[in-house]
Amino acid sequence: MSWWKPRSHEDVIFYPGRQETEEYVYTPGIHGKQFAEALIKGKILGMKCGDKFIVPPTTFCPDFSEGELVEVDTEWTVQYYTEVYRDLYGNQLEEPVVMILVQPLGWEGGLIHYLKPGIKPEIGLRVRPVFKPEEERRGTIDDILYWEPY
Amino acid sequence: MPDVAIIGAGFYGFKPSVPELSFRELVFEAARRAYAEAGIDPRKDIAGFISCQEDFWEGIAIADEFAPEPLGGVLRPTFTVAGDLLQGIAQAYMMIKTGLFDIVAVESHSKQSDIKTLQEIYELALDPLYLRKLRPPNPLFMAGIDAQAYMMEAGASEEDLALVSVKNRNNGIDNPRASYSSTITLDDVISSGYYMKPIKNLEAAGFTDGAVVFVLASSEVARKFTDDPVWVKGIGWSTETGTGGWNHHVWGRMISAREAAKQAFKMSGLNLTDMDSIEIEDRFTYLEPLFLDEIGLSTIGYSVELLRTGDLDKNAHMPVNMSGGSQSIGVLLEATGGARLLEAYLQLKGKAGYRHHEVENALVASWRGPPTYTTSVLILSR
Repeated sequence: MSWWKPRSHEDVIFYPGRQETEEYVYTPGIHGKQFAEALIKGKILGMKCGDKFIVPPTTFCPDFSEGELVEVDTEWTVQYYTEVYRDLYGNQLEEPVVMILVQPLGWEGGLIHYLKPGIKPEIGLRVRPVFKPEEERRGTIDDILYWEPY
Repeated sequence: MPDVAIIGAGFYGFKPSVPELSFRELVFEAARRAYAEAGIDPRKDIAGFISCQEDFWEGIAIADEFAPEPLGGVLRPTFTVAGDLLQGIAQAYMMIKTGLFDIVAVESHSKQSDIKTLQEIYELALDPLYLRKLRPPNPLFMAGIDAQAYMMEAGASEEDLALVSVKNRNNGIDNPRASYSSTITLDDVISSGYYMKPIKNLEAAGFTDGAVVFVLASSEVARKFTDDPVWVKGIGWSTETGTGGWNHHVWGRMISAREAAKQAFKMSGLNLTDMDSIEIEDRFTYLEPLFLDEIGLSTIGYSVELLRTGDLDKNAHMPVNMSGGSQSIGVLLEATGGARLLEAYLQLKGKAGYRHHEVENALVASWRGPPTYTTSVLILSR
């Protein structure tokens, strides 16, 4: 019967469904736990792999060796950015949202986050993280509200 | 080891929405057409079946269990590849090379119109520790960052990127599978507003429903079924990292494309200048010159000049995306590379009405799209 095709919308029905994943937990792992604990203290951890410093940290280095977690203790700058005007469905956002890639000077990798609303993004802009009040931090990346120039 | 050829291809759909058929029926329609072209009976002739799909696109857990039926593969060796169709072609190629399988079918499909929460599914692809919790307003935002980085590296302007949209959307006008083709001008693109800076609204491809099926065979078997097979001369694929570690990623580059191309060219004994047609990733416009730079093993920005001078146009010696590309055809989830392989296959067979000249050799490159960095490159010859 597949030579027959429905010719009007009335011949088509749809069954509503739900996505398969409603809720689950994600185990942050050894490095993830320490990263989370550091965020609560207002610190950002990266990792040392041989003579390289990389952020964000993972348990494994690019050369497949084990990394050592260390605090990022240098200044951060905006490496690249984009201004998002529409969501994936094509809906216009009320205001464009600036997503930035921030990188500590001399480090590899970087974090992706928000620039403080109202600030004009610029490559090379020196920025620092603005954390939520300590009692509101949960050890997740949104413990940082946004990054601001200084 | 036997050479490997494509002896049949079938497709169905290629519209922003195909509401009358289920995804399984889409696959069945495409499969039946592919088997008819190859002149084979899947229940007797095909030794193995590969379906390229992701559970999250289907809204069904363990969706591979749904793969055998519409392909004619029940109670036969069937497996899924959670990746782009070209990755499935690579598996089929290797199976045939072993000599244990003489005919293998590869399928992929998109029923993106069934997905009511596509943005949320893309969000689930973001690293749960370092990114997802931020709920970026558009989970494809990395394309904006890469586009900006590419423009800086390549010395490209926003107008250069807009040229890709103009070229490809106009190219698609003669292609019946190109729903998003249009006779747009540079002004139309420039004035369409930003999607994510520097990418304009008319530089981001739409999404499409459709299914594609290919039948691959060993050289000995291929010659029994067809006089003009399309030979798989080389294939390569490469994956970079997820979104939890940027240390492997060079912004504005697609190293995985370069690595995949190196592998494919080495295997084929051909190089870029041998290609009469190139079908490469362009779901965002900056990707076309970027992919051409990478697969051509060129310096970054080399392709921008070719774009400006019209050397990538449909009537040029080495046209790029003469089918209209994803700008015209749209994004078909894991079937995106398959849609482009279909165009290259039809061009090589002389069945693509829009082609300007005979195609002897063609290159297809696919990318799984943000937030992934997986690329496949396939080289085909008549």
